Amino acid sequence: MHELGVIIEVVKTVEDFAIKNNITKIDTLVLQIGELSAMIPRYVEACYPAAVDGTMLQDTKLKIEILPGNALCRKCNKVFNIIENKGICPNCNIKDYELLCGREFKIKEIIAC
Amino acid sequence: MNTYKIIEIKQSVFENNDKQAELLREKLKKDKTFLLNLMSSPGSGKTTTVLRTIEALKDELNIGVLEADIDSDVDASAVSKTGAKVIQLHTGGMCHLDAEMTRQGIEGLGTEELDLVILENVGNLVCPAEFDTGACKNAMILSVPEGDDKPLKYPLMFSIVDVLLINKIDAMGIFDFDIEAVKERAKKLNPNIKVIPISAKTGQGIKEWTDWLRNEVKNWNEN
Repeated sequence: MHELGVIIEVVKTVEDFAIKNNITKIDTLVLQIGELSAMIPRYVEACYPAAVDGTMLQDTKLKIEILPGNALCRKCNKVFNIIENKGICPNCNIKDYELLCGREFKIKEIIAC
Repeated sequence: MNTYKIIEIKQSVFENNDKQAELLREKLKKDKTFLLNLMSSPGSGKTTTVLRTIEALKDELNIGVLEADIDSDVDASAVSKTGAKVIQLHTGGMCHLDAEMTRQGIEGLGTEELDLVILENVGNLVCPAEFDTGACKNAMILSVPEGDDKPLKYPLMFSIVDVLLINKIDAMGIFDFDIEAVKERAKKLNPNIKVIPISAKTGQGIKEWTDWLRNEVKNWNEN
């Protein structure tokens, strides 16, 4: 479980952002996590209360949006979901792709009061 | 009713760390110090490899070592016996080092007189791969007893390193380890990866490894 360390980093970034933009109260933090990133949404949610404890984000809500892990087949140019297809192009049955998205881990937005 | 305002941030979580890593690299360039980030799972022979590396290069380079562990100083005390400058970093439960922690370690070492700093990262094949430490080059060790399937299980680590050291090759006969399969799997993830089989115990392959390292240090510190 390495999520805690990473979420502490997220909290720091959001606090910096809030200070710079004169935001004093945050209601919700919205994160975007790619299906292929090494962050597991369930664990992120589990460690969130510990990471925000004693920070400006204490008592805020966490919302996670999942981004799909998509690939482009190098042979036929079909776009397909890596997890659903186990990395194999459903068109030509080969595993030779370029990663398009899915490794993201982003702070999308905050909802401030 | 409260009025809520949505404020877009759209920032990659790693952006902050990436910026700090760039700053650290700029400082290292100015100080003419080469930082190597060495990663692997626990027990793969990182410390023994570091000791061998120091032994091979200590007459020509001033070497410093950053030992990162969750706890204890056993590695730092082993390395300090070689005469290299060493600092033990405790991550306090964190499974990886980030650029800020690395910078603090570098500051503690004082890089002005050092040509090469080896960062022995926390033993872990997952998280250290996600964080740019500010190192000039990244290396990893995979040891024979761990198995040849590791590039399949931890693809990110194998795709971000410049060098893969395959350690404990003296034990190859005891384990079902297909070195060619590892090379093929690693190259598929990372076509530019350099693979060097070594035994930190017997010294086999250490020359090829330290030749590569010496050359990288030279390139970094000259240009």
